[in-house]
Amino acid sequence: MYNETPAGGPGHAAALNILARARPERLKQFAETLLDTMVDVSVLANRTGLVMVPMRDTVENVDFHLGEVLVSEAHIADGAGHVGYGMVTGRDLERAMAVAVVDLHMAARGEEPATIHFLMEEQAQLAAADALRMRQVEATRVEMETF
Amino acid sequence: MAYVATRGGERAIEQAERLFRQDLGTIDAARVETIRTTMPYLVDRVMGEASLYDEELAALALAQTGGELSEAVLVLRAWRTTQPRIAIARPVQQDELLTQRRISAAFKDIPGGQILGPTLDYSHRVLATDVLEGKPYTPPPVEASAIPAPSRQPSLADWQRQQGLVAPANLAEVAPQDIPDLTREPLLFPASRAHRLQSLARAETGGVLALGYAAMRGYGNAHPTVNELRLGEAEVVVRHPRGTEFCAGRVRVSQAEVTSKEKSGYLELGFAATFGWNEVKVIAAATLDLNSAEAPVGSAMHEEFYLYHTESVEASGFCIHFKLPHYVTFQSVLDAMRDAKAMKAAATATAEQTRQTEPAE
Repeated sequence: MYNETPAGGPGHAAALNILARARPERLKQFAETLLDTMVDVSVLANRTGLVMVPMRDTVENVDFHLGEVLVSEAHIADGAGHVGYGMVTGRDLERAMAVAVVDLHMAARGEEPATIHFLMEEQAQLAAADALRMRQVEATRVEMETF
Repeated sequence: MAYVATRGGERAIEQAERLFRQDLGTIDAARVETIRTTMPYLVDRVMGEASLYDEELAALALAQTGGELSEAVLVLRAWRTTQPRIAIARPVQQDELLTQRRISAAFKDIPGGQILGPTLDYSHRVLATDVLEGKPYTPPPVEASAIPAPSRQPSLADWQRQQGLVAPANLAEVAPQDIPDLTREPLLFPASRAHRLQSLARAETGGVLALGYAAMRGYGNAHPTVNELRLGEAEVVVRHPRGTEFCAGRVRVSQAEVTSKEKSGYLELGFAATFGWNEVKVIAAATLDLNSAEAPVGSAMHEEFYLYHTESVEASGFCIHFKLPHYVTFQSVLDAMRDAKAMKAAATATAEQTRQTEPAE
């Protein structure tokens, strides 16, 4: 199912990264506003499933399976053949569908101002949460003295 | 002796399950959410052993089993089998983790420095009984640094390789779909390294600790020192239908490297990792990995021994199956015991009779 068309570029990856971790209620509300303007949308898949996560051993550089993560997936398309796709960790089909709706909207119409605004707001919120956490983590850095 | 088929007890079984569930009371979303948010380390342990990462489901499993860990892991693993595998993520690499705890007991000055992160390692273990007397415990806030810690930390093992301390390791190019997978194929011995590390990742924490502890106390041939312990969050990187790689979310992971002594001019290293933050498990598991190479067959440090005996569902399942009716088996034991007693009694009687009939000298 993957590699159906060429990659969407770094902007596409950045947008998907933000959408997958955006605040669920805001994401769903935003997707609803876009959905009102979209026609002829068909759902190819909307389901929960598993993603196996491999990890690389640092001793012998061997890849092994750490375990599976529950994800929700949505795959939609419009009449013109544009594809929208969303995958988020956890059991929330609406969230995955909201990501797919925003993704389809971007594929069909590009990043309109409202979409850019939403992505920037969510990116700022995610960055702020990470920065706060990592400032707290930095406070636990050990500065050892040698006697 | 013939087999005796029996039936009955349906009502008792029904009522027994009801009694178990009655004792737990009504399970609702609020209870599940409380478990998920207040017991993250317990949730992590269950997710690691179940080999299924979903905090909400793990909390639900704990709620409906009353915290009986073996049952919680079993019900999660069973549920996992109802789900299709949609994709295999890009392999997680150590230096890509959002690292929140990273310490080394072997090297004081490691590239990137040592970060304690969230831990009780240096705390007094005092039970806060005041809480029970109506005085809630509110933790003091962390005095955050002005600047954030780097989101990524370099690999210590790679740095050690550059110093010539650790043996070079070439990357074995294996496509994700070709990585050996215990959930699709049996564990055979000698196990591939991929199978060994996957098995340890989903192993039962207590079992790994017991066997790893045995190795640490001297029953193994290598006493561990933590080369690096790391807690962090890994990105689940998947592929969009248009080919774009993106992060679908983050999962908490733990990993440990332990070292012991020099071998062939290099430091020996053992490795383990698991879903969730579970330091004891990965240190003990890495110790078993470290000890494996020279472990005699049949010892607790030999991979066949520790991988077979730390598989949570198989171990607990085999243990609890002994509660189920074994009447036929046990009846044969009783028959043999009665026969032995009868034969012994007959032999004693014969000897006594012989002694009484022998003429006096």
